[in-house]
Amino acid sequence: MDLLPISLFLLTFIIFSTTTLLLAQPQQQYQDQYEEFSEELLLKPLPDRKLLTHFHFHNQAPLHNHHSFSTHHHLFPKPISHLVKKFHIKEMELSFTQGRWNYERWGGFDPISSSNAKPPGVELWAIFDVPPLQVDASWKNLTHALSGLFCASINFLESSTSYSAPKWAFQSDLGSLRYGTLPREAVCTENLTPWLKLLPCRDKAGISTLMDRPSIYRSFYHSQRLHLRSSIAEDRLSSRIILEQTLTVVLQPDIQRAGMNYISETSLQPSWSLSSIFGRKINGRCVLAKSSNVYLQLERGLVTELENLLKDTAIFAANDTGSENFRRNIGFELSVNPSKVHKEVEKSSSILYEYPIKEYKDSEQFDLGLTWKHPLVWSSPHAPLYASRFLTGSGNERGAIAISLKSTESTQGFVAANNVKERCKLQVNILQMVPWYIKVYYHTLKLFVDEKPQAVIDFVERMRVSPSEDKVSPGLMELVLKFPCEAKSAVLNIDFDKGFLHIDEYPPDANQGFDIPSAIISFPEFHAGLQFSDNSLRKSPMLSKFQEKSRVLSYTEVLLVPLTTPDFSMPYNVITITCTIFALYFGSLLNVLRRRVGEEERLLKKKDTNKGLLLQVLAKLSAKLRGRSSESAQPQSPPPPSSFISPKLVLKVVLVAGVAVTWQYYSQ
Amino acid sequence: MVEEISDSPSTSHPNPENSESSSELDPITMRNTKPGFKRLFLSLSVLFSFILGFPLLWKSIEIYRTPLPFPQIDSFSSEIESNPLQFPCQFQAIFIGFDSRVSHGEVGSAITKKMYELNPNVSQCGHCSSYDVSVVVDSSFDCVGSGNLRGSDEDADELLKNCLGNGVDGGKVYSVVVVNGEEEEVRTVVGKYRHAWIVGKVSEEEAVWRVAEIFAKVFVNGGNEGSSIRGEFMPVGADGRIVLSFSLLNANPQDWIYDWNFREIDETLLQPVVEALHPIANITVESQVLYHTPKSSFSYWNDEHGSHIFSTKDLPFFVNSNEWHLDTSVAAGGRSKVLQLVVYIPSANECPLQLELPNGDLSKTNGFISPMWGGVVVWNPQSCKKDLESKDPVRHVISPQDLQKLFEILMGQLRQLLGLKSDNLYVGQSGTSILLGSERGFSEWELDVLSRKHICFNLLSCATTLGSLSRLVQSLPRMIIMDEIGKQVKFSLEAAKFALSNVSIGMYDASAVSSRHSRSLAEDAFFHPSIMSISYYSFEHCFAIYSPFFLPVSMHVILAALREWKRYKQENKKYLAWKTKAQVTS
Repeated sequence: MDLLPISLFLLTFIIFSTTTLLLAQPQQQYQDQYEEFSEELLLKPLPDRKLLTHFHFHNQAPLHNHHSFSTHHHLFPKPISHLVKKFHIKEMELSFTQGRWNYERWGGFDPISSSNAKPPGVELWAIFDVPPLQVDASWKNLTHALSGLFCASINFLESSTSYSAPKWAFQSDLGSLRYGTLPREAVCTENLTPWLKLLPCRDKAGISTLMDRPSIYRSFYHSQRLHLRSSIAEDRLSSRIILEQTLTVVLQPDIQRAGMNYISETSLQPSWSLSSIFGRKINGRCVLAKSSNVYLQLERGLVTELENLLKDTAIFAANDTGSENFRRNIGFELSVNPSKVHKEVEKSSSILYEYPIKEYKDSEQFDLGLTWKHPLVWSSPHAPLYASRFLTGSGNERGAIAISLKSTESTQGFVAANNVKERCKLQVNILQMVPWYIKVYYHTLKLFVDEKPQAVIDFVERMRVSPSEDKVSPGLMELVLKFPCEAKSAVLNIDFDKGFLHIDEYPPDANQGFDIPSAIISFPEFHAGLQFSDNSLRKSPMLSKFQEKSRVLSYTEVLLVPLTTPDFSMPYNVITITCTIFALYFGSLLNVLRRRVGEEERLLKKKDTNKGLLLQVLAKLSAKLRGRSSESAQPQSPPPPSSFISPKLVLKVVLVAGVAVTWQYYSQ
Repeated sequence: MVEEISDSPSTSHPNPENSESSSELDPITMRNTKPGFKRLFLSLSVLFSFILGFPLLWKSIEIYRTPLPFPQIDSFSSEIESNPLQFPCQFQAIFIGFDSRVSHGEVGSAITKKMYELNPNVSQCGHCSSYDVSVVVDSSFDCVGSGNLRGSDEDADELLKNCLGNGVDGGKVYSVVVVNGEEEEVRTVVGKYRHAWIVGKVSEEEAVWRVAEIFAKVFVNGGNEGSSIRGEFMPVGADGRIVLSFSLLNANPQDWIYDWNFREIDETLLQPVVEALHPIANITVESQVLYHTPKSSFSYWNDEHGSHIFSTKDLPFFVNSNEWHLDTSVAAGGRSKVLQLVVYIPSANECPLQLELPNGDLSKTNGFISPMWGGVVVWNPQSCKKDLESKDPVRHVISPQDLQKLFEILMGQLRQLLGLKSDNLYVGQSGTSILLGSERGFSEWELDVLSRKHICFNLLSCATTLGSLSRLVQSLPRMIIMDEIGKQVKFSLEAAKFALSNVSIGMYDASAVSSRHSRSLAEDAFFHPSIMSISYYSFEHCFAIYSPFFLPVSMHVILAALREWKRYKQENKKYLAWKTKAQVTS
């Protein structure tokens, strides 16, 4: 009696579970095939009359743990999935940058500056999912594959002198991370074209049609980045590869002469539109993209300024200062009405205008423009410390690297926020990689806080140094420092000697100098991230990326160290000179050994009796010049004074010419 | 030096003394002492030590060169070139229902004679060495009842396979069964395995004629009459790999987007083919879908056909290499061969797109191949009307039936690329034969033909590669040759020998594999990075480095030795002159 309900229950359960399974199967099938692509563009006016444009392409595909390469994708680029499969990449980031991100003016505390501001040239880091011993081999193969894929000399990162394995600079604590940079790499369209090839629509349709090569390469800063992440889940169906491609460009809009009569144009921010900065408009979206949006972001500083302006004019004082009003505000005017306006949850917050590209038809084109009406001055949020790096010392022998950290207004805010605690500390991580020919003496590390020398021990939390090994590995220094919040400035100083390279190791333009890669300064306690209350924004990959709490990170300048460069024709010169000296020595020694002093004296005496003084001198000269050949061979007939063209000489010349001719003849 | 100074007067001083003693002594022509030997000895010893030291120097500046087996390479390539590779083949003709009036031997020789007539170029590489035909009449074939072969072709094929067995020793026996019956229509079918059958009312002569043709043209030659793609164009990479890269091109995704379920096709259709071709090449399959890929040739509207037409003249311009990013694969590193198999979906303004043949007809397959590159098939969507209502183009998936058809065409293209026929009929002089298709894409006798061609091609190319390597190495006497190259050459030769010996006993698969090995090793040796590098240390360079020292020094040494020798002779003459004079006077 008791059994029946249980069995019934079991039966129903089985039926239920089978039906759910049956229901779930097509879902899973769909999930299995599920690949999605989205394209987004963010525009942001910068305080120094420039405009930031940030293209973001997001592509994700399921990752199948098949043994073979037979993965079949519909949208996802085939070469990238092959890369992931072949080299077992867990995460990888490759960036090509030209120009330097201006942390002071363009900000250093927002998601774009901390994840898209990159050091000049090429930067590559990768985390591999292989046993530790195979990591280096994978890295080497990966650099070659990438250099073929992106038409760049990434393969120079193959040599063990150009990459290292930092531990704390990035999020991962694994030993399978490799990091390398090529500061000298010139970035141009040949790198952008293969990068665009990875997008399903390339630059044929959608937002990427805006990428006008001359405008991009005329910009102050452009950074093209490829971030790859494979998330391997327990159940194989949900493991995915996520490919994130971004292009960040800082442009100077041309000043449009609009009818501005009451304010001088110089004090106004330049007005711009998509067609004026790129020379193109958006024709329509990429049909393969799941979402295709353009965003216009107004920074916190700008929003505060606008609010102040609004209060001052008091025209809209009666109205509620809702976000709707910003469209009609008096600060600026937008040529297209946004479909949505998002405001950050915090009190002083940035505003996002959203323009979905979906709605635009083929006939009309999307051309967002912004016209300023009032001069506004604001500043971007800064990183807690402003970092810069420079060289000291002169000459070709030794020098010193100094990293200076200056506090900015964010630190003050941090102090204000943390003053409850007794002692507030500011943690700074520094990663410095130096090539082996810069021989850094790590014991000379000196620290100045507020321009007073301090013991390094007092401020260093953790330190990891792997000294360079000549022609094998670069030197790597990782520091975790903790400064008191009220410190105004800090300078790290470290001495080095300049090494000598083998003649083969010099690059073709050795006289230009050698680059020390950027140091990475990160602030693990600070997180850049925007907070929006609207959940719909989670769907946008770019904005959900912005809402992630990423640590604030900044790169220092690349340093150029001049090294002593040899004269590259020197080996041959040395060979020739030493050989000539040896030959001279050898020949004269042989002559001395063969000399008959007595006989010569006798002959000279004989001549003395025969000739006058002048002739004697001449004979002596000629005897000196021609050695003693004439005396020994023809002791009887004294040579005529002008006998340089003697038959012997002619014979010698003919002999040498003959040897040369036969040599030429037989060598062919 | 001291010795010399003390010596010099002793040789020259006595002269005036002697001249006083004997008035006849002329100091110019005579001397009364033996000429000194010291300086001559010195300069000669320096010269000799230089000459002796020269080999040492030569040895020290010698560069490392692994000894390569030049004679073996030469003999191997001359062997391959002089007597083309021949494969042992066995043929078997089975006659059922004939009144045997002639002996088996006579029938056999008649067939052989006919075969030679049909296929005279036996000496070609990759052919059967001899036509060895055995004839069986009636007796032992109980299982092949005369009625049994009249069922469906597939059943008959299996039946014959069971009856004939397939040679216990794995040898390749090609057999033709001729069943004499009452039907007027004579049916000739070539099966999936290594046999064919002829059913119908045939006279003995006609049967012999047909059997000979099937043997000579189909089983030996692969039914390829004109041999459009020759063995030299075997699209197999130097490392013995083929990458089949399938691409689906949507010319304009704004109009419509088509997708395919490639995984299914891969598992059901492609894997058997990959397995079947395993002895010939190591095949990997990959796929991608590309968008915004217009063709680069021109097409025009034709009312008669009701479609857009592109003609065969436009084919060279059809593939748009600017927009079709049919990337080479990362997986196919090195020297693998990538065969592109492309499905092109036209955009709305060129749909339907048809290929017009030179004779004005429309192509049935609507595709073309480009040897060594791959093939293209144009696939037109069912209705070429763009859905104007919906703003977003709908994503269609090509239906499994359509995909099946598409892949049949693509498989045909692959067969053509490999040098086989793509249709299932063989039209010979004696009549038409039906070629049964295999579900693996390639029937066994076709694979045999491919193997033969492939082995032949591999060994030829191995021989030419090794030959040019040996010529190159011999022509550049100062090129560094690493040990590894020597090893690769050695192993390549060994693999080639192994392949040759396997060929002679008729083991196709093993010899195909080892011939592939030998070719890839030869290519590895030839394209070894150390050969390609600039480490070629030329003699001119060596000369330039050593000449500043050796040229002036050797001048000094040789001249000194010559002069001393000359002086010694002169002085000796003087001495001899004095001696004779002294003798005369005394």
